Amino acid sequence: MSRECCALMWRSNSASTVSVCPPWRGLVFSAASSAAEMDLRPSRMGIVVDCVEAFVREFFDQNPLSHLGVILLKDGIAHQLTDLSGSPETHIRALRSNMESTGDASIQNGLDLARGYLTQIPSYGHREVLLVYSALSTIDPGDVMETVQECKKANIRCSVVGLSAEIYICKLLCEQTGGMYSVATNEGHLKELIMEHAPPPAAQAEMSVASLVRMGFPQRGAEDAVALCACHREVKMGGGYTCPRCKARVCELPTQCHICGLTLVSSPHLARSYHHLFPVSPFEEVENLASANGRQSLSKSCYGCLQELPTPGGKVKGVRLECPRCRQHFCFDCDNYIHESLHNCPGCESNSVILSQLSQ
Amino acid sequence: MFVNGILLLNHTNRIVIIATGSSTCAFLYDSTATDGINGSSVTSKANKKTQVSRTELITKSMQEFVSKEEEASKESSQIQYSNISGSLSMALCYIQRVLRGPLPHPQARILCLQGSPDAPYQYISVMNSIFSAQRNGVVIDACVVGSQHSAFLQQATHITGGIYMKPPQPDGLFEYLMMVFTTDLFSRQFLQLPRPVGVDFRASCFCHKKTIDMGFVCSVCLSIFCKHHQTCSTCGATFSRSNSTTVTGMKRKAPGS
Repeated sequence: MSRECCALMWRSNSASTVSVCPPWRGLVFSAASSAAEMDLRPSRMGIVVDCVEAFVREFFDQNPLSHLGVILLKDGIAHQLTDLSGSPETHIRALRSNMESTGDASIQNGLDLARGYLTQIPSYGHREVLLVYSALSTIDPGDVMETVQECKKANIRCSVVGLSAEIYICKLLCEQTGGMYSVATNEGHLKELIMEHAPPPAAQAEMSVASLVRMGFPQRGAEDAVALCACHREVKMGGGYTCPRCKARVCELPTQCHICGLTLVSSPHLARSYHHLFPVSPFEEVENLASANGRQSLSKSCYGCLQELPTPGGKVKGVRLECPRCRQHFCFDCDNYIHESLHNCPGCESNSVILSQLSQ
Repeated sequence: MFVNGILLLNHTNRIVIIATGSSTCAFLYDSTATDGINGSSVTSKANKKTQVSRTELITKSMQEFVSKEEEASKESSQIQYSNISGSLSMALCYIQRVLRGPLPHPQARILCLQGSPDAPYQYISVMNSIFSAQRNGVVIDACVVGSQHSAFLQQATHITGGIYMKPPQPDGLFEYLMMVFTTDLFSRQFLQLPRPVGVDFRASCFCHKKTIDMGFVCSVCLSIFCKHHQTCSTCGATFSRSNSTTVTGMKRKAPGS
């Protein structure tokens, strides 16, 4: 009998058009017998766990306030592997220790369990389920179409990544709930498809309800501080964060304070998404070097990295790009780096006149 | 002296010095450039003279930079903050250029020597630089010689895995620099280096730019506010009084929560 592994991951994400709100996502994993097939090396289960581990890390990097939970489909029942939490290590450890695959997979049971958890989250969160399915069939106790309709009513966006072939029920599920269905053809393609689900999706305006959530920003204690932590109820040495409201100690962020219930985050968690709010304006290519020369003396090197830039009559080939705000010139590679990763224009940041305009 | 020390440790070491002022930032010195940053040439070939020229070069560039800064800030009488995000961005762009070059790639580190207080309006840009450094595996160390601790640099060193230090005796700065910051990343695990005193993770509110430890966060764009607002100034979302929630949605009986 083939063994199947579907990983259902659920994620809830609240997002505006730039999708920075916290997601809660469920990852549903089918660990049925078809997962032990060897058509994808080393086995379907092995390659899926590797891809899912990379996905979990990328997911928490792109969605710092998100929560993820993992469900395993085995022997016709859905088992909850990890609860909705914001810690990548918990999920990865649990995945690595549960790699056997037995029995059949049931989409209905997996979706029902995921829905049960996702309906508890607040309204500003987005709910999503990612189902990684390697079976060719599903063994369900009731009518799976009803479950699909329930998910649609609960605003849960379900996406599926298949490993064997296209299945009608998966296609219907994705169409009804607005998710994405794709089937992998080889190992590399599988990783690509799973990683596509890491960045937050563009949200529809009517689905996101705006609310002001009260949060605390705790301080990290010194390395020699000794305290009783509220999460494990043990004495802990060093590190730890103190809730600003009730002064309880927690071990990691983001979390909810176990004593007073305040959501605790560190400012870097929120700040990871701020580059979406204040993007760097695209640089313009300096077309005519000779005419630009008349306006100001052309800088010989890139403002960011000191690489030589093309000058009229010079030997260096390439493009010269200009920031429309600060008028500094950059090379092509710096332009790429600034817009893809850094999200800061060095010229604008070093110019106090521009900074004072921006801060008003 | 510190620069000479680092360059002496290994013949493949390279250093770039960037100065941060309140009105601008500039590259002062690049150890791989055959001529100086400003195009002045170093013609001497004797070893001793080359060493003297390096110090002279750095001092000359710094003097030019300081005089430009003094002129620019004559009119302003406010507290001068340093534009650390500008120089961090320039440093990261330079590091990217080095990492694009031929192998072997050096281990990239940034040492920030800061005397002025943090500029609160630079919070987002500094955080962007820190995350980019973390992604690329660049370690940021900090040596604060000013009168107050720097929350930005504490966060930078915590996130990237660097060392944060505020020397208790600024007169002995050279010794602190040589003992603590010269070692490469691999050797640090064998040394007893200064431990972090605790990191200030508080955020600045978007409305007044003051540091807060408890605030309200817009669920759409994650902007932070110190008190309840009707609309979000960043994304324009409207909130009503009843919309402000905690995650559990439970009513709290304690006052002032």
